[in-house]
Amino acid sequence: MHIEIADLRRRFGRVTALDGVDLTVAGGMFGLLGTNGAGKTTLMRILAGVLPATSGRVIAGGHDLSTRAGRVAVQRRLGYLPQDLGLYPDLTPTEFLDYVGLLKGLDDRAARRRQAAELLDLVGLSDVAGRKLKGFSGGMRRRVGIAQALLGDPALLIVDEPTVGLDPEERIRFRTLLSSLADARTVLLSTHIVEDVAQTCRQTAVLAGGRVAFTGAVTDLTARAEGVTWEIVTPGPPPTDGVVVSAIARTDGTHYRVVSPQPPAPDAVLVTPSLEEGYVALMRSAAPAPVG
Amino acid sequence: MTALLAVARYEFRMQARKRSLWIAATLLGGALIVLQGDRGPRSLPVGTPAREVMGTWALLFAILMPLAYGMLLADRLVRDRKLRVEPLLESLPHAPATRLAGKYLGGIGACALPGLAALLLAAITELPKRHDPALIGWALVAFVVVTLPGIAMVAGFALVCPVIVSVPLFRVLFVGYWFWGNMLAPDFLPSLTGTLLTPIGDYGATWLLANGHTALFAGTPGFLSFLRPDPSAATAALSVAVVVLCGLIPLAAAAVVAHRSTRQTWPSKA
Repeated sequence: MHIEIADLRRRFGRVTALDGVDLTVAGGMFGLLGTNGAGKTTLMRILAGVLPATSGRVIAGGHDLSTRAGRVAVQRRLGYLPQDLGLYPDLTPTEFLDYVGLLKGLDDRAARRRQAAELLDLVGLSDVAGRKLKGFSGGMRRRVGIAQALLGDPALLIVDEPTVGLDPEERIRFRTLLSSLADARTVLLSTHIVEDVAQTCRQTAVLAGGRVAFTGAVTDLTARAEGVTWEIVTPGPPPTDGVVVSAIARTDGTHYRVVSPQPPAPDAVLVTPSLEEGYVALMRSAAPAPVG
Repeated sequence: MTALLAVARYEFRMQARKRSLWIAATLLGGALIVLQGDRGPRSLPVGTPAREVMGTWALLFAILMPLAYGMLLADRLVRDRKLRVEPLLESLPHAPATRLAGKYLGGIGACALPGLAALLLAAITELPKRHDPALIGWALVAFVVVTLPGIAMVAGFALVCPVIVSVPLFRVLFVGYWFWGNMLAPDFLPSLTGTLLTPIGDYGATWLLANGHTALFAGTPGFLSFLRPDPSAATAALSVAVVVLCGLIPLAAAAVVAHRSTRQTWPSKA
């Protein structure tokens, strides 16, 4: 589903959450990065039709989200995993999916139940399909969340901070699942975990202060840190120039990776940047000049 | 229609599974059975018509059991937000009014279960003493005429009002209202007791007694005299209708507000 966002604004009282967002999402897996409070969740909620914007234009799959009819049309083809989704503790995963399926308009009982069973299998919850949700761990609840989002084979999947609170193994499994789903649909992944985008998305946007600070290919965002990412090895304190992105203690001293326009130490060497360093360079305006 | 039935079905299922519903109903119903005194249905002499016996039982249960229903239903709408399910539900392509109506119907259904069970149990326990199978039939009639309308009214207010005044405050106010508006003698203080608006089922129970006496205070002179017609079959039916309609008022208001919020459009400029 193609999404076109133009001059989108949203205010909460005197606070501006979105301040003229322009963005195009062509399809596939699209990552939305930004710090906490950057406006990612507000944008996701507007796209899901849960929250009205203050002004601006959003066209998703040819439907204008500024109208009720447009929102409902998109919601019929939407799978949404909100940030911090709660579940009814007194239902089982099968019942919860059946309930959401009914509300999504999946009227054929046999087909709905078959799909629910398939999705629970996909997210590895078949064994506990009949257990009450109240005993589920955070990871299991997330998996129920993604299963409900996939009900009805949506053309647009919006997942907001889906890997927060998951253990590393579950995070990897979740990312792999999302990636595989993006072949046939648009997946919007909102996160502040850069690694999630690095491992799954080809296209990304960075929100900062309610504005789009970057939009383009993940490789272009990484390139923002080329020529400004340094590594130094020292037994002493961390360098004070630039932003320390990582610090790994080894026998020969601590290996620091630093994003800085200037060498942070005389013996610092330039290294190939990661997406995280590209993101840091962008956010701290450490890159020498905007590209693309 | 599918969405309405889905919400009603799952609301009913979740509510009916709540242990607190059954515990509260059992405790209150049990207390009423034990403490009914010599004016209660157990003291009615053998030979008393079945409709009078079951009318008295229905009114007895209606004295306190709706308090449990009001308490339990008070969090049903706000709990979607509390449980953080609301954002997901709002992203689904159905009107909020549908969800509200479904919760209302499901809540009534769930609360009706212990109410119906109490009356049927009462009828069954009366059978060996009174040898009148009609007790079962009149238990069902009493349920429809006395119990159900009260639950419907309580459900309407208990779903919507806590959104405005918070759940704990609603519960306190509800208990106060229940005793003031249903059981306070109308000649003592101005109250709704004995009017067509009483969800305790006073008019319905009085019609079931059919012995020339009022069940509690139905039609007793007092405040708002135009709401206190003489008890009869017609006024019992009118009371049922008015009580049910009263419960629909907060629902309708909430549905209008929700509808307006979802109809909201925003200035679209590129």
